[in-house]
Amino acid sequence: MQSHHKSLWQGLVATLPLSIAVIPWGILAGSYAIDVGLTGLQSQIMSIIIFAGAAQLVALGMIKAGIGLTSILLTTLLITSRHLLYGMTLRKDISPLPLKWRLSLGFLLTDELFAIVTTNKQHKFDRWYALGGGLSFYIFWNIAALVGIVAGKSIPNMEHMGLDFAIAATFIALIIPMVKAKSILVCVLVSMVSAVICSLYQIDIGLIISALIGMASGTLYAKVTGEAL
Amino acid sequence: MIWLTLVLMAMIVFISRYLFLEPKLPLRLHKNTLQFLSYAAPAVLTAIIAPLVLVKDEALYLSINNNYLVGAVIACLLAHFTRNTLLTVLLSMGIFFFIL
Repeated sequence: MQSHHKSLWQGLVATLPLSIAVIPWGILAGSYAIDVGLTGLQSQIMSIIIFAGAAQLVALGMIKAGIGLTSILLTTLLITSRHLLYGMTLRKDISPLPLKWRLSLGFLLTDELFAIVTTNKQHKFDRWYALGGGLSFYIFWNIAALVGIVAGKSIPNMEHMGLDFAIAATFIALIIPMVKAKSILVCVLVSMVSAVICSLYQIDIGLIISALIGMASGTLYAKVTGEAL
Repeated sequence: MIWLTLVLMAMIVFISRYLFLEPKLPLRLHKNTLQFLSYAAPAVLTAIIAPLVLVKDEALYLSINNNYLVGAVIACLLAHFTRNTLLTVLLSMGIFFFIL
């Protein structure tokens, strides 16, 4: 039991920088929801049950623009499809666990949690560590959303304040330490170039295409050079 | 309509996260597939932020005036030399918001 608490705590601590960086985004998700015309309750429930920043903000923008439900759901599917990769990657660790663990960790499986869990390989997969990280991130996200909801429209033009840089900084802080082999560098560079090209040509599924091309390039490079990961 | 949208979105997001964690789903991953998947984190995270940092108004924005790019380079250097996530995040955000 003692070691469970310890793992839970370690997960929380490892996630703390990401939790701090997500605060502005959470506030934005809350205040933007109010701005779009959702009630306070709806705005909070959105963050409680969806728990996916990018999908929430894009959907809110679409609701504001009066775009229909089908388009919103298809866009959500597109944005969230990367989680399929995360699930597949963690399948060997999480699928043998009891249902309540699978459901909890599945629900909490964000980009941030995935990064924290996969870079913690020296300890192997630890369910309590993952839970500590996931839960603390979830709590931070929802409190930030609440702050945004309360502040509501009094936060002017938060979309234009460069808050997305917080995401860039966080992800860079996650990616750089991951680059431990040449094949990973190849993966990152190819993924970057591809994502930029897709963005220039406004290809909607650019994110997932670029990720897959990057992953394939890394794998191929490792195979060709006989790199041992 | 808002409620329906929220609930359906939550379902889509949850299913995409949970699907492959379900043991009853018949899927056995080959060793090569697992190696391929080991690149998922850096690949996806990079693909999310690259356009944010390098593209503006549908054009490549490689300039010292691009605060996102300068901030990102600073973040890369901080991450590389400090290996400290918290420091990297806070310092690069501080520089971005207050200096750049």
